[in-house]
Amino acid sequence: MSGAPGGLRTALVQLLAVVRKEIRQTVRDRRVMFLLVVAPLLQTVIFGFAIDFQVDRIPVAVADLDRTEASREHARRLLADGTLRRAADATSAEEADGMLDRNRAAAAVIFPPRFGADLDAGRTARVQVLVDGTDPNQATVAASAVSRYFGEVGQALARERAAAAGRPLPGTIRVTPRIAYNPSLRSAPFMVPGVLVMVLLIITTIVTAMGLSREREMGTLEQVMVTPIRPLVLLLGKLLPFAAIGLFDVLLVLSAGGWIFDLPFRGPLAVLGVATLLYLLVTLSLGLLISTVSRTQQQSFLAGFLVLQPALLLSGVATPIRAMPDWLQAVTLLNPVRWFIEVVRANLLRGADFADLWPRLLILLVLGLALLSAATMRFRKRLQ
Amino acid sequence: MAAPGGEPALEARGLVRRFGATTALDGLGLAVRPGELYGLVGPDGAGKTTAIRALAGLIDLDGGEARVLGLDPIREGRAVRERLGLMPQQFSLYRDLSVMENLRFFGRVYCLPRAAFRERSERLLQLTRLAPFADRRADALSGGMYKKLALACALLHRPEVLILDEPTNGVDPVSRRELWALLHEFVHGGMAVLISTPYMDEAERCDRVGLAHRGRLLDEGAPLELLARSGAATFEELFVARIREAG
Repeated sequence: MSGAPGGLRTALVQLLAVVRKEIRQTVRDRRVMFLLVVAPLLQTVIFGFAIDFQVDRIPVAVADLDRTEASREHARRLLADGTLRRAADATSAEEADGMLDRNRAAAAVIFPPRFGADLDAGRTARVQVLVDGTDPNQATVAASAVSRYFGEVGQALARERAAAAGRPLPGTIRVTPRIAYNPSLRSAPFMVPGVLVMVLLIITTIVTAMGLSREREMGTLEQVMVTPIRPLVLLLGKLLPFAAIGLFDVLLVLSAGGWIFDLPFRGPLAVLGVATLLYLLVTLSLGLLISTVSRTQQQSFLAGFLVLQPALLLSGVATPIRAMPDWLQAVTLLNPVRWFIEVVRANLLRGADFADLWPRLLILLVLGLALLSAATMRFRKRLQ
Repeated sequence: MAAPGGEPALEARGLVRRFGATTALDGLGLAVRPGELYGLVGPDGAGKTTAIRALAGLIDLDGGEARVLGLDPIREGRAVRERLGLMPQQFSLYRDLSVMENLRFFGRVYCLPRAAFRERSERLLQLTRLAPFADRRADALSGGMYKKLALACALLHRPEVLILDEPTNGVDPVSRRELWALLHEFVHGGMAVLISTPYMDEAERCDRVGLAHRGRLLDEGAPLELLARSGAATFEELFVARIREAG
C-alpha cells in the first residue's frame, strides 16, 4: 500500500528533474530559442502578408488594330476596375503575343480591324484574348474578367437593339452572391490558421525529435537509462516543456494574427484549446517516432522534413483537398494536420463549436493515440 | 590478499550475444564479490563493453545469465538500478550543463534527499578535486576531469555495485593514478567493482583479473598468481601467449 504513493512521489521528483534540465538546456541554446519564439512570429507576419490569393493588377498588353472610338472606349472600360492593368500597347497581334513570351504581360487583348464597324453595323464583333497559363490562378482571373466584361457589354447591346426595334426586353437573370464569414475575401484570415498549424507541426515535431536523438547521440540516454527512472517518466519530462512552448507559440501566432491581420475569433476558444492539445499529442508523438528511427540529430532533422512536407501538402493548409485526385483525398483522411486545420478555421472564422466539430476532434484523438503508442513501443525497443 | 567472501554481487554465466553475423559474447562468465575489484582486461573487440551492457541490463542476451545482487538486470531492472552504478565508456553526461548541474540532475533522478545530496556531492567534489570547477560546463573539462565527474555521478546514490567501462581510456597518467586511488578507496568500503581496460599494465591494480578475448575468458585469477602460474614476466607477455594457445 505504501509503495504506490511513494512510487508516485519518486516519479514526480524525477519528472521535475528532467523538466528542469530540459528547460535549462533549451534556454541555454540560443538557436533553439530563436526557432521556438522568433520564427513563429516571423512566419505569421511573412505568410500573412505574402500569401495573398487575391489577384489583381494583372499586366495586359492591348493591341488596338481598329483604332476607333469604340475600340478605345472598350479597352479603357475593360481595364477600369483594377483587375487588369494596361502594361503595354502593341501594334500587331504578333507583337502582343511576343510580349506574353517575354513576360511583359500576362494577357493580351486584341481588337481586330473593323471591330467598331462591325458593332455599328450590328454584326458580331470579335475580340481576341491571349492568356499566359503558366500561373493557372492568374490566367483564370484574367480570362474571367475579360469574358465578364464583354458578356455584360453583349447583354447591354441586345437590350438596346430590342428597345430600338420596339420588341419587348428579354428577361435576364441577375446573380447577387452574398459571401459569408469573410465578405471582403481577405487571404490573411484564411492563412494565419495555416501558419499556426505549420509552425506548431514544424517546431514541436522537429525540436522533440532532435531533443531525443541528442540524448542518444551524446550518450546521455544510456546514462539515464541505468538510473531507476521509468522510460515513460523520462519521455514525459522531455515532452512537457515542448508542449508548453507549443501552447505559447499558439498564443503568439493568434495574438499576432488578431493584431496585425484582424483575424476574427468567432467560436468558443475552448474548442481551439482542446484541438491544440490533441494536435500537440500528434506532433510530439510524431517527433518521438522520428527520433526512434534516427541515430543523430541531423538524421532527425532530415527525417522530420521528409515527413512534414507531404503532411502539410496533403492537409489543405494552402491548396484545397477537393482539388486532389480521389485516391489522394482518401490519403488525407489519415492526416492529422488536415483535421486540425479544418477545426481551427471552422472555429475561428465560422464560429463552429464542440457540437459541430466533435467528430474531427475524435479523429485527432484517435490518430494521436495511435502515433503515441507506436512511438513508445519503438522507443522501448530502441533502448536495447 | 584474503579473498573477499560471500555471495557474488555481480555474476555472469555463459553470456552469449550475437549482432548479426558477429558473436560479441561467446560464453563469457565471471563473478565479482563485495569488496572486490575485478578487472576485465582485453583488446578492443574482446566483448568487454557488450558484457558490461548485459550486466547493466541495457541489452538482451541470446544465452546465459546475468545477475546483479542476485537479481535479473532486465526483469528486475528498477531494483537493480537503485543499487548499481555504471560509468559508460563514451561521454555520457550533459555537456551543456555544469559540473554541479550534472550532479544535481542525477541526484534528483535518484531521489536523494536534499541534505544527503549536499553532503555527498561536496564529499565527491572534494575527493575528485573538482570543487573549484563546480560551475564549469562539462564539455569544457579535460578528459581526466570529465571521467572523475562521471565517476562522481555514478557514485552519488552509493551503489553496492559499480561498473566502469574503460574509465582510464584517454586519460593522462596523473589522472589515471588518481582514478585508481579513488576506486581502491571505494572497494575498501565494501563495494563490488568491475572495471574493463585495454591496458595490460592496469591488471596488476585489480584484486582479480579476467583475460577477455573473442567474447570469452582465456584465463582468470589474482594478478600475481596468474603471472606465477604462466611464468610470464608481464601481463602483455601472458596475454599474447594465451591468445596464441587459443588460436
